[in-house]
Amino acid sequence: MKNLYYEVDKCVACKSCEVACSIAHSATGDLFKVIREEVLSLPRKKIHASKNKNYPVSCRHCQEPLCVDACMAKALEYNEEKGLVLHDESRCVGCWMCVMVCPYTAIRPNIKTKIPVRCDKCSDKDQPQCVKACPTHAILWQEEAVTKR
Amino acid sequence: MKNFIIIGNSAAGIAAIEAIRKIDTVSKITVISDEEYPAYCRCLISYYLAGQTKEKDIFYRTESFYRAHNVELLLNKKVARVDPKKGRVVLRDRNQRSFDGLLIATGATPKIPEAVKGIKKTGVFGLRTLQDAKAIAELLPVTKAAFVLGGGLVGLKTAYALRKKRIDVKVVVKSKQILSQILDYDGASFVQRRLQENGIDILLGQDITEIIGEGEIRAVKLDSGKAYDCSMVIVGKGVSPNIDLIKDTEIKVNEGIVADSSLQTSVPSIYAAGDVCESLDLTRGAHAVNALWPVAVEQGKIAGTNMAGGNLRYDGSLGMNSLEFFGLPTISLGIYRPEAGEKFEELKKSDPGAQVYKKLLLKDNHLVGAVLVGDIKSSGAYLRLIRERIDCSSIKDMLLQEDFGYPHIVDFVKEKENVYV
Repeated sequence: MKNLYYEVDKCVACKSCEVACSIAHSATGDLFKVIREEVLSLPRKKIHASKNKNYPVSCRHCQEPLCVDACMAKALEYNEEKGLVLHDESRCVGCWMCVMVCPYTAIRPNIKTKIPVRCDKCSDKDQPQCVKACPTHAILWQEEAVTKR
Repeated sequence: MKNFIIIGNSAAGIAAIEAIRKIDTVSKITVISDEEYPAYCRCLISYYLAGQTKEKDIFYRTESFYRAHNVELLLNKKVARVDPKKGRVVLRDRNQRSFDGLLIATGATPKIPEAVKGIKKTGVFGLRTLQDAKAIAELLPVTKAAFVLGGGLVGLKTAYALRKKRIDVKVVVKSKQILSQILDYDGASFVQRRLQENGIDILLGQDITEIIGEGEIRAVKLDSGKAYDCSMVIVGKGVSPNIDLIKDTEIKVNEGIVADSSLQTSVPSIYAAGDVCESLDLTRGAHAVNALWPVAVEQGKIAGTNMAGGNLRYDGSLGMNSLEFFGLPTISLGIYRPEAGEKFEELKKSDPGAQVYKKLLLKDNHLVGAVLVGDIKSSGAYLRLIRERIDCSSIKDMLLQEDFGYPHIVDFVKEKENVYV
């Protein structure tokens, strides 16, 4: 099962990943049309700077996800096979419990749509679009982690 | 092969079933519920009332779940008492069932202020069960005005639902602020303004003394002497744990059933979880009942695992609430206001123009609580700082930063795997 990993030293906070993510999750899928869409597509990944380093932050699809336990609407489910926390938006009531408990501050509230946005690893595409977009190869899409820090 | 009984079929009970079955696929599990439905999302009944959640979407688990987990589900059955000595439960219909392991996850019941004259009249409701919600919903077509007693989460969520149904709603709150059990005064006033702007009347510092009407409710009278027309009264004055079934047994009770760090009660092989369970509160270090959905799930999981022979430790709970009314998200974590004699360092940011208010409470450089209104993005990081008791000295000046999040705490927390390489 592939996961997203990040070489933070390579990240220059250009936010190409955020833009690619927004486009990938928009209705039109086109950079120039995306900004005119009625409901703006929010990026599911955000770059945060801390101590002169830049950290791309998005859902890590924890194997023991606290968000799933906290979800009072049963809109979230961990799918072991896919290694994904799946979000059934039709059941979601926008209570923000998942935002409240996420240990990685990786789920962001979209106040307008009342639906939290989170990374889905672009599971409908060949690979996460942030990986493709990153010009410095700071985002890795691979089976196993290089756990040395 | 053992005989497990779980009393209660909501968040804690379901989590316990799943936990037991992860370890033990052969033992018998019986779930006893005094409600008539498979498990549903209790916190969603106000959304159901508002018409935002349909009945088909309210179920937390369907009947197939019980089949798949090989669980005998007894609905509409009330446990009259637990007999710890003989290891059995006695149902109200006099049937008995013996157990090797028991989980009491009976939840709680709305407190009814008995001193209010007329409180037993038809048209007075609590909002705890799907059945309550259905009974209220049935009356909505003929209801013009409703009164809500209590400015807590249940009261306000009900008021919100009724407003969405275009009912004229007034909320009577005894204290000087709404949500006094989860928010400080300043934070609550942001929420209050948002509710008022959207047509919910809030009467602070007042109480109801009488519900007037013969047969049907016609008005309520307040301690100010004023009376208001209405035909429905909703009581949201908090809940009390359902502990009747263990009365006169050796199981230790305080406010709720007292459970230790394995969530076992004072009697071996009898466990407690959820809204009925009183366990260690992490922020204050004393026992408390934190009647919250995520707490119930975590407790159910741990109690279930331990019942089945596992060995999980429960670190303790803490108050955590998330609410949203009319587009204003609000989160409260841990301690939100000092009690008499307590002193905390306070970090605060208030921007009424942007509708953002944040307050953090620290003790000896450790975060112990947070109130977040309007901007809740950093909540998960705060929760972690509180739970993992992390010294915040070196990041104190960053805590209120708009983008405060995981990267700011990454050096202080231990992870099973690293994502940043």
